[in-house]
Amino acid sequence: MAGEHEIHIAGADADSARRAADDAIADVARIEAKYSRYRDDSILSRINAAAGKQAVAVDDETHALLRYADQCHAQSDGLFDITSGVLRRAWNFRREPPHVPSHAELAPLLELIGWHDVEWDERCVRLPRAGMEIDFGGIGKEYAADRVATILIGHGLRHGFVNLGGDVRALGPQVDGTPWRVGIRHPRAQDVALAGFDLVDGALATSGDYERYFDLDGKRYCHILDPRTGMPVTWWQSVSVVAPLCVVAGSCATIAMLREADAPSFLDAQGVAWLGVAADGTVLPATR
Amino acid sequence: MAWVEAAVGVTRVERPHEKRGGALLLSALALPGVVPTDANAQSAPDKGIFEAQYLSYRDWQPGRNRMKVDAPAFYALMPIGDTWVVEGGMVYDSMSGASPLYFNVLSGASVGDYRTAGDIKVTKYVGNQAVSVGAFVSSEQDFLSRGASLNVQYFSEDRNRTWLLGVAGTNDRINATNGVAPNSTRNSVEFVVGITQALSPSDIVQSNLTYYTGHGYYSDPYKPLDTRPSDRQTWAWLTRYNHYFADADATLKLGYRLLLDSFGSTSNAVDVAWAQGLPWYGIAVTPALRFYTQTAANFYKNPPFPSGYVDGDNYSADTRLASFGAITAGVTVAAPLWDGWNVSLRADYYRQDPDWQIFGTGSPGIQIFAARWFQVNLTKNF
Repeated sequence: MAGEHEIHIAGADADSARRAADDAIADVARIEAKYSRYRDDSILSRINAAAGKQAVAVDDETHALLRYADQCHAQSDGLFDITSGVLRRAWNFRREPPHVPSHAELAPLLELIGWHDVEWDERCVRLPRAGMEIDFGGIGKEYAADRVATILIGHGLRHGFVNLGGDVRALGPQVDGTPWRVGIRHPRAQDVALAGFDLVDGALATSGDYERYFDLDGKRYCHILDPRTGMPVTWWQSVSVVAPLCVVAGSCATIAMLREADAPSFLDAQGVAWLGVAADGTVLPATR
Repeated sequence: MAWVEAAVGVTRVERPHEKRGGALLLSALALPGVVPTDANAQSAPDKGIFEAQYLSYRDWQPGRNRMKVDAPAFYALMPIGDTWVVEGGMVYDSMSGASPLYFNVLSGASVGDYRTAGDIKVTKYVGNQAVSVGAFVSSEQDFLSRGASLNVQYFSEDRNRTWLLGVAGTNDRINATNGVAPNSTRNSVEFVVGITQALSPSDIVQSNLTYYTGHGYYSDPYKPLDTRPSDRQTWAWLTRYNHYFADADATLKLGYRLLLDSFGSTSNAVDVAWAQGLPWYGIAVTPALRFYTQTAANFYKNPPFPSGYVDGDNYSADTRLASFGAITAGVTVAAPLWDGWNVSLRADYYRQDPDWQIFGTGSPGIQIFAARWFQVNLTKNF
């Protein structure tokens, strides 16, 4: 997992905090190893390697994540699609000079996208076409953050938060009972807080066009890609979501970026609090 | 910089349906380990209880008042953190009067005694299990009982079923004031296995099987010639069933207990109670009826005392070991007061008659015996 990670524990002695944190970190490492795209021995690599061939057996945890991804797909009308990672083959945000893929480059990749074609049940999953792949971007890291909070709470801790690469889950307020104040980074100015949320025991996740991107001819091309066109979304610079669970906040933020103009009604329907920065820098919702 | 007031609505993950929308939240709750259900141990009580009770007991036989017991008692339950519960109780009985009378020939030894008893239990909830460790002590002038218990409960994932496994050990020391059997002891172990199953939102059934085995002094030192076996085993099977009638706001409570005793006696008890909620001030009235019947211990001898006594054999003329039937009728009225306080008043009347034995014939020559209880409870939930 990329990005900076932090576990902040208050109101406990150093030894018990350390023991709890060790347990939590071990679980993050476990999830990372299990669902990494970069490790050949991860379950994702095995599922992807078997694309177009056989079904791969999955355990309960993987099935639960697939089921959640399926819900995200349904709730986003197909925009949140865990098979859309193949577009990375055409979009290289580190390449110099930057290159915007042509329709001819994207078309064969779009053929490989389609969660609704994936065959899956409680026991196994099969990607029907060779070259297809899945990943748990927008879910996996956030799921890990929620589990960290659960593990810390299980150790009797009640004050603290976990920050996995900017996705924050609180497990209880500060020792004096006041909420944690979590700042939202300005999408166009690193190290500047645009706004902040008070968190007691919920989560805050942000999806933005500034994580991986390039600018070309005055236009921003970011890593959040529409699975229908293969092109980056452009409506929002960033969307931040507060929800009881980090996995909900993270997936809602990503879906909001993908839904573009429809994002406010989607977010309101999900019952989450949110803050969006539109492409022109306007902060929404304006009433808050 | 604008701080957004978004802290509202992010608490209470465990009741997402109270909030609007949230299809993704509902789905996400199915992910393993994202909500601390395990650590929270949903079965752990999250409220404390304090209870003060006063019990007044009187019993009598025709033309004769016998025992009086007045017993104030206290009980408290305190959750500590999310997974620990500590509970404990104290009772102080003062008894006066004649010890149980079995036949008019004997004047019972006079009893003027008090008893102090206390117990404490600590329970730790871990995931789907709860482990309880308890200790208790009961002290009278001539009797000291101490014991410890270990219980393990296992809750099913949906919390509809609970298994119980328990063991308890007790050490009793008897030092009768009349010098009979000085420094006698009795040790026993009890094992219990049980299941509680919610059949539906309004039906719950519980069944427990208990095995008791003990060794030591079981005789009554205050009853002349009383000689009982030094080993005792019992099997007890208890089953209870509750059904809630939503339309009537009432609960039917049924219970049955069978007890087989190596002393030779078998007892059956049937309980029926109807807890009726009333439409005023949360008051509930619970009339209850219990029918009890037991056969005599095989060393119990009918009056006149000491007929049937053979030196060296077991012998007892204690009418509590006779063959009889008994009915208890009672009513409890409970009402909430204010600020988490509740009060309940209970009255019971007990009547024992050899003619009410239904499995065989009742023991001849023993008198009808009756008792009544009044009990006041004040409970505070906090």
